[in-house]
Amino acid sequence: MRSLVPLLTTLLPALYALGVAAYARIYTTVGAESAVSSSHRWGPRVLRGAVMLHLIYMISRGIAEQHLPLASVYDFMSATALSLAAVYLYVEMRQGIRTTGIFVLPLVFLIQMVASAYGTVSPTIKPTLNPIWFELHTLAAVLGYGAFFVAAIYGVLFLLLYREIKSNRLSFFFNRMPPLETLGRMNMSAASAGLVLLAFAIFMGIGWGRLAGMDLFADPKTWLTIGAWLLLGFAVLAYHRLGWRGPRAVYAFLAGFTTLLVSRVITDLFVQSFHTFR
Amino acid sequence: MTAFGSGPLDVFCVGLSYHTSPIEVRDAVVLNDEEVSRAIDALRERTGAAEAMILSTCNRTEFYARGARVPDPAAFVASLLRELKGVDLQLQEAKHLYTLREEDSVRHLFRVACGLESMVLGEPQILGQVKDASELAARVGGAGPVTDRLLDSVLRCAKRARSETAIGRGPVSSAYAGVSLAAKVLGTLGDKRVLLVGAGEMSALAWTHLKDAGVTQFMVANRTRERGESFAQTYCARAVSLEALPVVLPGADIVVSATRAEQHVVTEPMVRAAMKIRRNRPLFCLDLAVPRDIDPLATKLPNVFLHDLDALGQIVAQSLAQRRAEIPRVEAILEEELARFLKWHRSLAVKPTVTAFRQHFEQVAKDELERHRGRFHPEDVSAAESLAHGIIQKLLHRPTTQMRNAAGGDLEAAARLEAVRDLFGIEAGRDEDPSAGQDLPDAEQTKGTHADRDPR
Repeated sequence: MRSLVPLLTTLLPALYALGVAAYARIYTTVGAESAVSSSHRWGPRVLRGAVMLHLIYMISRGIAEQHLPLASVYDFMSATALSLAAVYLYVEMRQGIRTTGIFVLPLVFLIQMVASAYGTVSPTIKPTLNPIWFELHTLAAVLGYGAFFVAAIYGVLFLLLYREIKSNRLSFFFNRMPPLETLGRMNMSAASAGLVLLAFAIFMGIGWGRLAGMDLFADPKTWLTIGAWLLLGFAVLAYHRLGWRGPRAVYAFLAGFTTLLVSRVITDLFVQSFHTFR
Repeated sequence: MTAFGSGPLDVFCVGLSYHTSPIEVRDAVVLNDEEVSRAIDALRERTGAAEAMILSTCNRTEFYARGARVPDPAAFVASLLRELKGVDLQLQEAKHLYTLREEDSVRHLFRVACGLESMVLGEPQILGQVKDASELAARVGGAGPVTDRLLDSVLRCAKRARSETAIGRGPVSSAYAGVSLAAKVLGTLGDKRVLLVGAGEMSALAWTHLKDAGVTQFMVANRTRERGESFAQTYCARAVSLEALPVVLPGADIVVSATRAEQHVVTEPMVRAAMKIRRNRPLFCLDLAVPRDIDPLATKLPNVFLHDLDALGQIVAQSLAQRRAEIPRVEAILEEELARFLKWHRSLAVKPTVTAFRQHFEQVAKDELERHRGRFHPEDVSAAESLAHGIIQKLLHRPTTQMRNAAGGDLEAAARLEAVRDLFGIEAGRDEDPSAGQDLPDAEQTKGTHADRDPR
């Protein structure tokens, strides 16, 4: 298994790049059915293959390192790329819409390329990282981030399409997008899933902190993440309960998502804490 | 009659269309099935046409014939139309009929089937109409090997054009553009409720498109109650009074307004109040009236999508522009399929030469076997015949393949064929029965071509 790791490290960005090319072709040639049919077939196949190999890569590393490969920022990036690709594939299979892949997969490719290029050395795991709590915490966080990324992409696509329809300036993009209502639903479904996963990650994190005897609430990352979660929770709640539809709901979600991302960058780059990968 | 397959196609097309004739003339010459049957009989009997087909739609009536012996096809068709419909086109000042011959006539049929000659560029109905015309021709005895093959090629070409290009994409009427846009905003329309404001023709047209899109729940609000109720009865809708608009508006997902009112029927405060009750669920409004029925200020409200005739006109214009941009791609497909058809047609010329070539060698073998029959034991005769036949087959395989490949080629290829005839003293018949050409192998014939057409 260990011998597979270097090969897959190189292969994964290449496969995702191939996926990007296939989905770009699907996007540009949609409507010309025969021309697109081959891309329609092999695009999702390439992506499914990439996700499967990515999973094998993670398992191989897990077996080799005796813990989930989530101990460095690059590991986290690779897992986020996998989660993003997997969430996208799930949405694609549920909705049968392939023209949005081109907006998701380049991000997957970029994240995985950085992870493959710089994350070659396996870090030694900190002793405070109790395997079960830590692994559940990190796994849920990674899946949550993947869901939020997908939700954010669909949110932005929603806003672009909304503007085009309102202003009656319909472009190439209009013809390739699913209905506005579908994009809105995709955005909120992914956001709701991300919210549940992030809540789980926070609870696991608190449990892990208590067991390790750490004062998690002294860590700004905890507060910032809880703050972002509350914002995201409000956006989802407002959509379901307060009748916040359309752009207002999407803007509220994007505000929460931006807070979450910024909080991560701040804590990872500027705050010295046990709660970072440094 | 010109030899089948040996040279020109010997096809003409005479017709009129919206390019050359106003609707009154086009209407007057539309032929029903029985009239088409009579016209095909007349073409066959009076001009000696081997094959004939007539395409008659609201936008064109065209006569296609192969092998007809008639000096002026347009005059003949004009007299036929006078006989069948009582319309004398020759008496009219305008020149309605056009005549196309040979490759031009075939190319024209390809263009018609692809929707390039349609009033609405790329419209799909014409493909079905061409198919119906070919089936009718087959039923009444107008079809033959060349038209069969031609129509296979034409239908394949039209299907390719529609699937490989965007010639048929995008809405090209205002009402349909509105419904497409509604689907783009709201997704599936099956569970959506529609409020039609006004009970006129535009509302009826919108109802048709929305019904086609799966809508089942309609309300109609009209100023005169009787007319509204009559509309509701005809179109399975619920009638409400115009005064009830503020009450029913929140329950509608799509509003189509087409009244003759001088002022706004649906005001901005009315929409604002409705959106509040709807908890901001999207509301799609189509204003098909001039002057406008729905206050344009409503478009500023979030989740209200208001489109008037100007906006829809822009979408239609955009669709048509996109379709026009696809014309070169369609024409490329068309030329490819046309070339394939013409190559097939030219290949028919080789058939008599190949047959005569093979017969020549078989005869030599037969004569030699006969001459030496006495030198064989009776039980060996059959083996000797098989041997001779096998040798001939092997020897002739390459030359006959080359001859078939040379069919439809350039002058050099034609010269090579001529050389073969000279070398072996072959007098290949050129005036053979047309159906003889059908069994000529054609490696390029697309699989499933015949499956595209209904069995006859």
